[in-house]
Amino acid sequence: MQLLIEAIGFGIASGAVIALGAVGFSVQFGMSNVLNITYGALMTLGAYIGLFLIDRGISAWVALAISGIVVGVVSVAFNRGLLAPLVKRGTRAFAIVIVTVSAGVVLQYVIVVFAGADAKSYGEQSGQTFHLLGMVLTASEVNIIVLAAVLMLGLHLLLTRTTLGRAMRATASNRILAQSCGIATDRISDIAWMLSGMLCGAAGVALAITTVSFDFSLGAVFLIPMIAAAVLGGIGQPYGAMVGGLVVGIASELAAAFTNPAYREVVAFGILIVMLLVRPHGLFGAAWATRRLMA
Amino acid sequence: MGIHRWRPASPLALATALVLVACGGTQGSTPPSQSGVLNLGVIAPFTGPAAEFGTLLTAPCLAATDLINADGGVLGHQVKCTSIDDTGDPADAVPNVTRAIATTSNFDFAIGLESNTAATTVPLVSNAKIPFFTTNGLTSFTKNNYPYYYRMTPGDDANGAAFAVWAVQQGYKNAAIVFQNNIGSEGNLPGLNAAMPKLGGKIGLNLTIPADSASYSAEVARVIAAKPDVLIWSADPQTTATFLANYKALNNGVLPPMVTATDSLTPDFFNAVTKVVGVDYVTHQIWLVGSYFDQTTPAFNTYKNALLADANTKDIAPVLSTVGPPAGAYDGINIMALAMIMAKTTVGSYYNSYILQVVSPKSGATVVSSYADGKAALASGKSIQYVGVLGKPSFDRYHNSAGEFDANKFNADGSATQVGTISGSQVLQLLA
Repeated sequence: MQLLIEAIGFGIASGAVIALGAVGFSVQFGMSNVLNITYGALMTLGAYIGLFLIDRGISAWVALAISGIVVGVVSVAFNRGLLAPLVKRGTRAFAIVIVTVSAGVVLQYVIVVFAGADAKSYGEQSGQTFHLLGMVLTASEVNIIVLAAVLMLGLHLLLTRTTLGRAMRATASNRILAQSCGIATDRISDIAWMLSGMLCGAAGVALAITTVSFDFSLGAVFLIPMIAAAVLGGIGQPYGAMVGGLVVGIASELAAAFTNPAYREVVAFGILIVMLLVRPHGLFGAAWATRRLMA
Repeated sequence: MGIHRWRPASPLALATALVLVACGGTQGSTPPSQSGVLNLGVIAPFTGPAAEFGTLLTAPCLAATDLINADGGVLGHQVKCTSIDDTGDPADAVPNVTRAIATTSNFDFAIGLESNTAATTVPLVSNAKIPFFTTNGLTSFTKNNYPYYYRMTPGDDANGAAFAVWAVQQGYKNAAIVFQNNIGSEGNLPGLNAAMPKLGGKIGLNLTIPADSASYSAEVARVIAAKPDVLIWSADPQTTATFLANYKALNNGVLPPMVTATDSLTPDFFNAVTKVVGVDYVTHQIWLVGSYFDQTTPAFNTYKNALLADANTKDIAPVLSTVGPPAGAYDGINIMALAMIMAKTTVGSYYNSYILQVVSPKSGATVVSSYADGKAALASGKSIQYVGVLGKPSFDRYHNSAGEFDANKFNADGSATQVGTISGSQVLQLLA
């Protein structure tokens, strides 16, 4: 029983990181309808920008914010410079996915050129732990859970309580209709990519804090659980991605606690497949989104 | 007519052809010659999670070829180390190695072929009639029928038994085994399972973990619950660092002693783990067990000096020179190069049968500990016996030569010190 409670706590911690990345991924997909595999490498970029700053004495949380902004800017440039022109030329969706895969590989190896291929770390952690309802969480895990919750709440308020948020949701729902209503969809798209990139960069630093040790493959390794979380929640649905992240995180920690840990991801993805068989559009799929939009 | 039609051969011509085919590639026919640089394939992961093995195996290749080339090469040919990236994944290894065999000229010898991919790369290279010294520890090769295969490091099962011997010698009786889910790590399990009970110890927990997870907290909670007094461990540097950091956080800063393989005696491992749990734990609580070799012999000094002399290897020389598998690869290159001189050809199918002659003890033979000494002795018409960094190789009928074991500890600068030895015969008895 104790191990069950502990594993749920560990799952919430890793789920928070997955959710951070998955929400950014989902926001960007919802806006552009592009499956952006470069997202993993951008996350790695965020982790390495964080390393660069932390090595120069900047606190991890400030580094997280700066990494988020830098990756946000890079994301906008990536969309404006590469993906948007491809979309305008009518390039097939599959070809664009391959372009994002290729760009991710290039970015990954650019990182290796500058930072090397060896394992990196932000350094020893404080060792402070918190005990809550039988769960044991490290100080950095608690911080990341709080950060994820704050960012999720901020995103929720942005999407539901602001004109910008309504414009984003309208653009995501029907770009042409949004344009005809006077919404500057290109600018909204830039903001969405910026927002997505900021979450991506922040997730990269949060992930590097969680893993303690990381290398240039960091983002690529975690891209699949993040996409799984986004798909589980209903691709393009930020709220779904939040819940999806927690489900993937908790499922894999429970698997590690009670089965052969070598199969922790197999169990998590097995659950994903079963849930999608039951709810093909994910937990918060199209029907739910329509209701939210009309609310 | 311009078109060559097939005609039945006469019985005499057929018999002649069969004789020629039967003799092809063996001693007795005129040794073929090659021109240009000889390529020595370093078949190892150069990308991916196991990429450190590429560095680990390129270094002895550079050390050996620097010395060989400085001595005029092999039969007048310079030798070049050619990296062949098997990525540590059989799915990549097969096309990459196949392509290298098909497109690399004078691909006459190879080293590497480590455990992750050996099951697929060994048949490919052997079928191409390229002699090679492998660093894999797979027990499936303890008995094999590959004529071009040679191994100078112990099988993984023997390594596992050596881990158990060392742990019990240090007074630890309740071990938690945590291995990464790769074929090399898991190969240690049979030896551990066989040896631990015979030594009066027990295995409290046995976990296999995936590499590079975001967190190992759940696994760590299981290990802590088993209350082990020692952790028997095998995983890549990044996985090790993450696991130990989680362990430290969840166990009030206390980490258990660790016994692991000398495969981890690398700068990558030292740096990754030191950064997250501190140098004190790494230098005092981690034992690295692997092939033993005497670090005072002329062969060792030649090897270490060659590593120090090359700009690409001098930084890792202090650590690397103490690790068994790279030393075995260095010896293997010297042995193959000397076999080429004895066979008077660089073609693998010809010189392969001379490899055992290079190392076999014989009366009146000049004992040599380097390529240069061996080449000089052969030039003056003497027979030789090569005794290298790993000592006297003693190959069985399957071309395996295991030897003794030792335990090492990291020093604060990342170099290593031998702290004890483990008898090879004791290990084999535990496996019997």
